[in-house]
Amino acid sequence: MANIDALRQEVSRVLSEKIVDVVLGFEAGSLPTRNQPVFIHKAKESKRLVDNGFGSNNLAALLAQRPKDEKIGVICRGCESRAIRALTVEQQLNRENLYLIGVPCRGIIDWRALERAVDGEILAVAEDGEDLLVTLKDDEKKLARAEVLHSACRNCRQPDPVGTDVLIGELPAREGLAQRSPDVAAFLGKDADARYAIFSEEAERCIRCYACREACPMCYCTECFVDHITPRWSESMVSKGGTQAWHIIRAFHQTGRCVSCGACERACPMEIKMEYITDRLNEDMQDMYGFEVGANDSDQPPFAAFSLDDRNRFKE
Amino acid sequence: MSYKTTPVNQFPKLVSQWIKKYDVTAPAEAKNGLEYKTIGDPAEMMLNNRVNTTYAPKAFFLPQSEKLFTVEHGRFQAPELKTKPRLLLGVRPCDTRAFWLLDTVFLAKGEEDAYWQRRRADSLVISFGCDTPCASCFCTSVGGEPFGREGSDIQMTQLEDVYVFEAFTEKGSALINKLPEADAATVKKVKALQKTSAAEMPKAFDNTNLRDHLYALFEDDFWKEVAETCLGCGVCTYLCPTCYCFDIVDEVQRGERVRNWDTCMFRVYSQEASGHNPRPNKAARTRQRVMHKYAYWIDSINEFGCTGCGRCVVNCPVNIDIREIVSAAQARSAKMEAAK
Repeated sequence: MANIDALRQEVSRVLSEKIVDVVLGFEAGSLPTRNQPVFIHKAKESKRLVDNGFGSNNLAALLAQRPKDEKIGVICRGCESRAIRALTVEQQLNRENLYLIGVPCRGIIDWRALERAVDGEILAVAEDGEDLLVTLKDDEKKLARAEVLHSACRNCRQPDPVGTDVLIGELPAREGLAQRSPDVAAFLGKDADARYAIFSEEAERCIRCYACREACPMCYCTECFVDHITPRWSESMVSKGGTQAWHIIRAFHQTGRCVSCGACERACPMEIKMEYITDRLNEDMQDMYGFEVGANDSDQPPFAAFSLDDRNRFKE
Repeated sequence: MSYKTTPVNQFPKLVSQWIKKYDVTAPAEAKNGLEYKTIGDPAEMMLNNRVNTTYAPKAFFLPQSEKLFTVEHGRFQAPELKTKPRLLLGVRPCDTRAFWLLDTVFLAKGEEDAYWQRRRADSLVISFGCDTPCASCFCTSVGGEPFGREGSDIQMTQLEDVYVFEAFTEKGSALINKLPEADAATVKKVKALQKTSAAEMPKAFDNTNLRDHLYALFEDDFWKEVAETCLGCGVCTYLCPTCYCFDIVDEVQRGERVRNWDTCMFRVYSQEASGHNPRPNKAARTRQRVMHKYAYWIDSINEFGCTGCGRCVVNCPVNIDIREIVSAAQARSAKMEAAK
């Protein structure tokens, strides 16, 4: 985590020096295990900012609807910085209008897992190194942070911000980051019937609130395929066909684009696991095209790129 | 009406009998915490859970997707509505209050919705009084109570090792009339618990003149500020026990006319065929959601269209808290008034 005073100071500086019009970060939420994204418009408001494990969202998802000419500062963890890179490559953001303030990331706490682990009304949570100190009504509990980390963060391969304008705090030494998602490996270890059963059981809970879509920085279509009426691409109901089609097509559209931040899963009120699908598709992109989303400022995702002199031919 | 009682450890036996006659539907463990399930064994029910279910039980009367009719080879076919009666057990009073509110929509005289009406008539609702509200609960701020009676046939209250039942309707009374009568001391304890639970619940906001405050802000930039971080998803409305908007779709390949929940938080909800959208941004859509609950419901039946269950508070992916919106609206409107 960044030194919070240094972070607030930097935000205050870029606002007062008019380097940016507004800064996007997190402030404390209305419940002890939540943060709210916040747009800081004035230097003196920078004291509202927090930096803790409860910033559930990928802040890059809130950039698409900002005014085109706005200069905006964004407090970025690894996944936010990669999403911004990917959005820049896809020409959705103008990097020149952005001022990226990198912060070290220790992973996001899955508040649902935390609330279940302590089983009681949480009054306060303090982060103390590798531990969480949870204050309950008549009790205090200590938990290992790792125990209640969101799975996307547990599997994260690139927690450090990339391509930022400034870094607040020091990046920790990273060792033993898994190169492949263990969740994908576990899924692929099962036979087709078992895999379909897992997928069905997850998709079955879907209520089509599209929180996953809205929380995703890479879902920016002005008209989503599910909202399209002529032709209709999927059943409108919460039927098996309707929900499965949603989850499959959503994932497919993310091929080589998903930044594996897990914001979709954390936004889902039904706690549907979805990231194993997009992670799997991303592994294909690595294996087949050597492509890694957010790795640099230029490479187009393979399924979004075309060239008139494409070297691959359909028939030799 | 009289109070009946049964020891907590005898209750599963009673539920087993009910299971033979009814689809007994109660909170039970689910992959995402707690959800209503039709149980085959009383051991599955989890009545004493600290938190409510994620998905509101309104779905048993207004399913999220419902087949209204089928057309096969040009012939109209009415759907078969389930005939085994349902016993909804352990519903929190905020959710039963929502049934009562929605009855005013779907059972309005002369405009009864056949599907809602049939399901309500075929169901019995046993509510479970709350003595330990959560931090996200605010029923007493919007006209409800932790032991509110509206929308239920029977209310059960736990007093240590006994459950006490009070029936409010004839069909409720018929279900429990063979249970032993509660003695005067027990009844006294139940009444005392109901009183203290309501009194101890902190108020999230003062709802006096809330409707007028909101109308005063209708054209204000307030909504732009409130909606600045809104994602525009349907979590708040789809989990809400009182939201009832729907869209009717012809699923041509199935030959079905379907009614699906819809939400004012979606852009396409108010999108017109011409391309014009009268609620063109998240600010306008957020205003609609809040105004409907706290102003338009007041206009139509003088009750808030919110029961304070807190599902939107708990589950909003960006933690937009409707209680904070209401409090901020009151403060802003009072300030505007003072400046006049």
